[in-house]
Amino acid sequence: MNYNWDWNIFFKSTGIGSEIYLDWFVSGLGWTIAVALVAWIAALAIGSVLGVMRTLPGKVLPAIATAYVELFRNVPLLVQLFLWYFVVPDYLPEATQVWFKQDLNPATSAYISVVVCLALFTAARVCEQVRTGIQALPRGQSAAALAVGFSIGQTYRHVLLPQAFRIIIPPLTSEFLNIFKNSSVASLIGLMELLAQTKQTAEFSANIFEAFTLATVIYFVLNMSLMALMNLVEKKVRIPGMMGGAK
Amino acid sequence: MRFTTRLLTTAVIASAFAAPAMAEGTLDKIKSSGVIVLGHRDASIPFSYLANDPTKPIGYSHDLQLKVVEAVKKQLKMPNLQVRYNLVTSQTRIPLVQNGTVDLECGSTTNNLERQKQVAFSVGIFEIGTRLMTAKTSGIKDFPDLKGKNVVTTAGTTSERLLKAMNAEKQMGMNIISAKDHGESFLMLESGRAVAFMMDDALLYGEMAKAKNPGNWVVTGKPQSFEIYGCMLRKEDPAFKKVVDDALKATFKSGEVNKIYSKWFMAPVPPKGLNLNFPMSDEFKALVAKPTDKSAEEM
Amino acid sequence: MIRFNNVHKWFKDLHVLNGIDLQVAQGEVVVVCGPSGSGKSTMIRTVNQLESINEGEIWVDGKNVADPKTDLNALRAEVGFVFQHFNLYPHLSVLDNITLSPIKVKGMDKAAADKQAVALLERVGLAHKKDAFPAQLSGGQQQRVAIARGLAMEPRVMLFDEPTSALDPEMIGEVLKVMKDLAESGMTMMVVTHEMGFAREVADRVVFIDHGKIVEQAPPEEFFKNPQHERAQQFLRQLLTPMS
Ligand SMILES: Nc1ncnc2c1ncn2[C@@H]1O[C@H](COP(=O)(O)OP(=O)(O)OP(=O)(O)O)[C@@H](O)[C@H]1O
Ligand SMILES: [Mg+2]
Repeated sequence: MNYNWDWNIFFKSTGIGSEIYLDWFVSGLGWTIAVALVAWIAALAIGSVLGVMRTLPGKVLPAIATAYVELFRNVPLLVQLFLWYFVVPDYLPEATQVWFKQDLNPATSAYISVVVCLALFTAARVCEQVRTGIQALPRGQSAAALAVGFSIGQTYRHVLLPQAFRIIIPPLTSEFLNIFKNSSVASLIGLMELLAQTKQTAEFSANIFEAFTLATVIYFVLNMSLMALMNLVEKKVRIPGMMGGAK
Repeated sequence: MRFTTRLLTTAVIASAFAAPAMAEGTLDKIKSSGVIVLGHRDASIPFSYLANDPTKPIGYSHDLQLKVVEAVKKQLKMPNLQVRYNLVTSQTRIPLVQNGTVDLECGSTTNNLERQKQVAFSVGIFEIGTRLMTAKTSGIKDFPDLKGKNVVTTAGTTSERLLKAMNAEKQMGMNIISAKDHGESFLMLESGRAVAFMMDDALLYGEMAKAKNPGNWVVTGKPQSFEIYGCMLRKEDPAFKKVVDDALKATFKSGEVNKIYSKWFMAPVPPKGLNLNFPMSDEFKALVAKPTDKSAEEM
Repeated sequence: MIRFNNVHKWFKDLHVLNGIDLQVAQGEVVVVCGPSGSGKSTMIRTVNQLESINEGEIWVDGKNVADPKTDLNALRAEVGFVFQHFNLYPHLSVLDNITLSPIKVKGMDKAAADKQAVALLERVGLAHKKDAFPAQLSGGQQQRVAIARGLAMEPRVMLFDEPTSALDPEMIGEVLKVMKDLAESGMTMMVVTHEMGFAREVADRVVFIDHGKIVEQAPPEEFFKNPQHERAQQFLRQLLTPMS
């Protein structure tokens, strides 16, 4: 096929100010990381609370958490994003609405919407992992904690969660990677993250393959680094004497 | 890392070359296969889009594309030449032409220098100006009025590039939103997130026709650029290019293009029976009178 | 110290505790035995309300444990519990297993808690293992740590639910020795066990339970020499010839 390869394209001017195409990728990567990391921290916090709720005795709290999971896991991510970006703001008080839609920098308002959206979506998935992790623990653990006078809160905080989280590091790692991939939905509401910048480069330069190849490489390296990071975390918190643990 | 990059590059290049190599010209290929493959869009109203029949595109560019098919039939003496359709997107249209999947793409593709490095363009089939759409009550008349405002445009378009460049050069302090498609850009305008929408005027008229209250909106401002749309075909295929260009030129010369234009821009079009009411611009009239396959920047 | 008044408990249709009446005096060591499924574990777990009861009263140290107004966490802090499967916290070192509850529940400062933990470990003969993790210890060692963990809260009562039945035979002795020392120090203890040697040597009283009912209680010499109830006789026979 008569494609014109030009790997120098990334160092060529975009025609906007003094920017080169590589600048777009750098800024896109920055947004991708900013979206994914913040959403992940929020998802981890919310998902953990929900996961604990699902394992509590009683009826009401587990039911609330279950309903949350069903709702957020089953509505497609894109639909949720459009709701957070286009629909929800219309129900804010008039002044807040004007502020959110017009005074705020559009990149900021898109950023807020996408972080909220990804955080709540991923929280439902984290919730399920946390629940599984807690339920995988021997029942004796909570009995032992309660028997020494711990409250339910202390039992979770000091005994159940530290163990549950260790168990679920591998599935959480894949959720962590997913949130980076899912962050590309941000491009649909005009946030110029990595995928958006890639498409823009492809459109502007007509060097489609170079642009997508670079994006692939960046996502790949990002993935590998995150995986290495999580491996490190897993090693760091590994319990001595347990399977594969340090001797 | 160096190794992975090289690996990926190799993979991409290999897959690119694995596609049918086009040693023979397009006409030979059509002749031997008995099929011409037309590239079309799904939502470039009214240029090339799908309305009631999901297997067959319609539109202004498509009607011109069919004129070319007629010419090919005549040239190859193949009255029974089959037509196959292949949907393309803005990302896939260039590679699909290059690798031989699509023989001729007619949609709303701007002829520019970057793309000329990858594909050949027919003579121009349309000319647009990049302008603004805004609410009639917004008080915005032209680009200088946009200082410090939120302005939306569609990602990956020339308007986006022009708007960003204008913002950088003239320090206008605009907040530029890049929406994913024209429909979403208009949604940004309608929902009050942006005060103006910069885009090809023809597309602006298309969005306006779809609005709940078309009367609320106005297309305004001095065109910031002119762009010529062309059909895309493979580079270095003079025989095929000649058939394509001649067919289009003949349509221009006979005045038939006016009928096709009126059908799509001055009368109700499917699927909703909207009328774009977009009269032919002087620039396009000049192009019809003097066809060229150059991009607007070269003129 | 502990008093059961006509305690009943059902698991759905299963009447697990069927009118338990029992008193354990301060400093007394009571061994509870009985066939499998007779309700021993359930009974001992009701004392610190790891199992709730449906009817009757249980008084521990002057507090009615079934009363919703009773502060369960405070009560449990005074009642040590040792489980069949040790239930040490696997993610914490031996030292942290012992100091966690004094620090978090009692608000003891870390240095004092560490000092106390080391003293307790010395008492159960495991001071050298303070930095090990549970998975690095043998079953017997784990159970001794679990006892130390229970003692760290300075409980007024210690409850044991079959503390040696998950252990290899050669480790049973070390755990029983710790329990014996504890009994000799004057601790009030309720012990579910089938270690009749321990019962004979250490217990003040043996309680035999069958189908959720106490059918016999007596000082060990009497119980072993001359069991009154037919089920108790049968039970003892089986214990003596386990392979038959
Ligand atoms: N959480 C529970 N839900 C339902 N039934 C239970 C539960 N816990 C125990 N049981 C049942 O209650 C009965 C008494 O159980 P318990 O554990 O108190 O017996 P045990 O005397 O300790 O037996 P073992 O010597 O085997 O430990 C058994 O039939 C058991 O199956
Ligand atoms: Mg039991």
